[in-house]
Amino acid sequence: MMLIQSMLNWGALFLYAAATISAGHYLLTKDLRSSRIMLTLLGIGLFLHFGAFTARVAVFWSFPENRFFLPVSSFHGALSCMSLALAATFFVIEGQNRLGILGALILPWAAGALAAALLFASPDMTPLEPRLRSYWLNIHPMVLMSAYAAFANAFGVAVALLIQERQIKSRKPSELCYRLPSLDELDSLNGRIISWAFPLLLTGLVMGSIWSRSALGRFWNAGAKECLSMTTAAIYAAFLWLRYGAGRRGRTTVYVSLLGFSFVLFTFFGAELLSGRHSYMGGGK
Amino acid sequence: MKLLCLSWSHKTSAAAAREALACVQIERVLTVLRKHGCGEAVAVSTCNRFEFYAAGRPHVVRPANWHLDLLSELAGAEVSAEAEVFEDLGAVRHLFCVASGLYSLVVGESEILGQLKNAYETAKSMGMTDKRLNVLFQRALYVGKKVRSETAVAAGSSSVPSVAVQLAESIFGRLKGKTALILGAGAMAELAAKHLVARGVGKLVVANRTWQRACALAARFQGEALQWADFPAQLAEADVVIASTGAPEAVVTRTMAETAVRKRAGRSIFFIDISMPRDIEEAVHQLDGAFLYRLEDFESIVAKNMADRAESVAAARAIVEDKAEEFDRWARSLSTGKELSLHHSQRVVFDRPRAF
Repeated sequence: MMLIQSMLNWGALFLYAAATISAGHYLLTKDLRSSRIMLTLLGIGLFLHFGAFTARVAVFWSFPENRFFLPVSSFHGALSCMSLALAATFFVIEGQNRLGILGALILPWAAGALAAALLFASPDMTPLEPRLRSYWLNIHPMVLMSAYAAFANAFGVAVALLIQERQIKSRKPSELCYRLPSLDELDSLNGRIISWAFPLLLTGLVMGSIWSRSALGRFWNAGAKECLSMTTAAIYAAFLWLRYGAGRRGRTTVYVSLLGFSFVLFTFFGAELLSGRHSYMGGGK
Repeated sequence: MKLLCLSWSHKTSAAAAREALACVQIERVLTVLRKHGCGEAVAVSTCNRFEFYAAGRPHVVRPANWHLDLLSELAGAEVSAEAEVFEDLGAVRHLFCVASGLYSLVVGESEILGQLKNAYETAKSMGMTDKRLNVLFQRALYVGKKVRSETAVAAGSSSVPSVAVQLAESIFGRLKGKTALILGAGAMAELAAKHLVARGVGKLVVANRTWQRACALAARFQGEALQWADFPAQLAEADVVIASTGAPEAVVTRTMAETAVRKRAGRSIFFIDISMPRDIEEAVHQLDGAFLYRLEDFESIVAKNMADRAESVAAARAIVEDKAEEFDRWARSLSTGKELSLHHSQRVVFDRPRAF
């Protein structure tokens, strides 16, 4: 089962990487076919990845005490799940908005997260610690990962916006300028994705807090991850206030959203590095 | 199968011959040919070319000279000497090149596709096309689209107004619901207004030093006129500002633009300066959210686009050659009784990625 899982994972990684490359190719040439190829590769990759995830769940549940919990408590599980969420949200957003052009900016994160899971994190699974055996384990991380995946998409949109802005400012726009969506569209898409992901982020954080209360008796543990995630939430709140409250558009808001995403990354990866055994393995969560 | 093509174009024949031919109704050509017993023919007439195609079994199609004489008679002038004559594979290749826009005045322009389609449909409705020309013309339209989507011969806009509109769309998406402010009421201003209205701009405001002329221009395009002294205050309301006043010094200063940009809270503003001397200070371009383009910026984009198009002509010719040979094999297979199949592979789509 582990072998099947590993093969499916590597297959998915290979397809994500191929999809990333064809997205890059689409960005640089005007070949519409590579955009379609990218979507197809991504679709098959998602299918394999989902298969791998299912296989992982099957292995995880072979420990009776893990039954019906999702295997997201290890670094490997979390990264792999993050990658799945990224690829899936991109698939949905691109499918709806025909923004294949952004694949080159967003898919690397999906491929990177999966590669990190496969290369640097141990896929071994152990019985869950008793205090993690809660239905919250199935909800709290999933909600947060969906929010993070959406933020990654917003990041791609924001980078595209900065590129587009530069293109028009240069007075010598290349093909790229005509293939990217317009500044206004990118700006409003950035805002829409964030205003959709922000409530998810808040919900995820509140859930974590409630879980912490029921497991440890405290709402707030002042762990690195908690502090960072609160900062992330504050930055995105500032973005939403600027964008919709104060009606600001353009570069300033985009910089705030980029800062927000850097904190997402820091929360997800940085906290792990800073505090070693924190988060996924126990600690505050 | 025998295929004959006679062609008069802006590159190969004198204007006199083309003018004489342009007066001939293509329906008339086809009617006369039918009277003479010709079964399959298509005539194409555009401002830059006149083309004639005839097809049939080898012994049925009359020689080129016969057709040339007939057309000279119809045109009321001697046009034979100016014609280019192509036969069989050469004719197929020629038609495919024409359909791909490779022989157009502006390389890659796509109007020719519609003109070919109309000419073909006229002939078809008169019963002057059979299998050979049906397949040939449908194939030509397919090749024309394929070449445009797979090579860069049709990439990039080929005129200043279309580049300007394209850039405006790169900033705002669609121009619908956007406000354009036109400074000046001369011929250039009018031209700009025409293009903006054609692209569905939401609101048009005209400011001019002479109030009556502002009103006149505004009235012609259902816009609003604005007193000259009031335009700086209204600058922040405009998404696109087009200046062509002929004033000796700049009418839009950096300070004015700065105030407007601040009021717009980061929403972009597109300044277009088409006057000489300049109407808008160059420093405006440095403002965040302001994009200033001058006439020569558009012109250099057009020049670059045309150079890019010219560069991809070789790639386009390769596709044309390939498809022409494929058609030729099919045409020859007709007489052997073992007809080859000819597929339009995938559907060709023109698309610009758009967020919603």
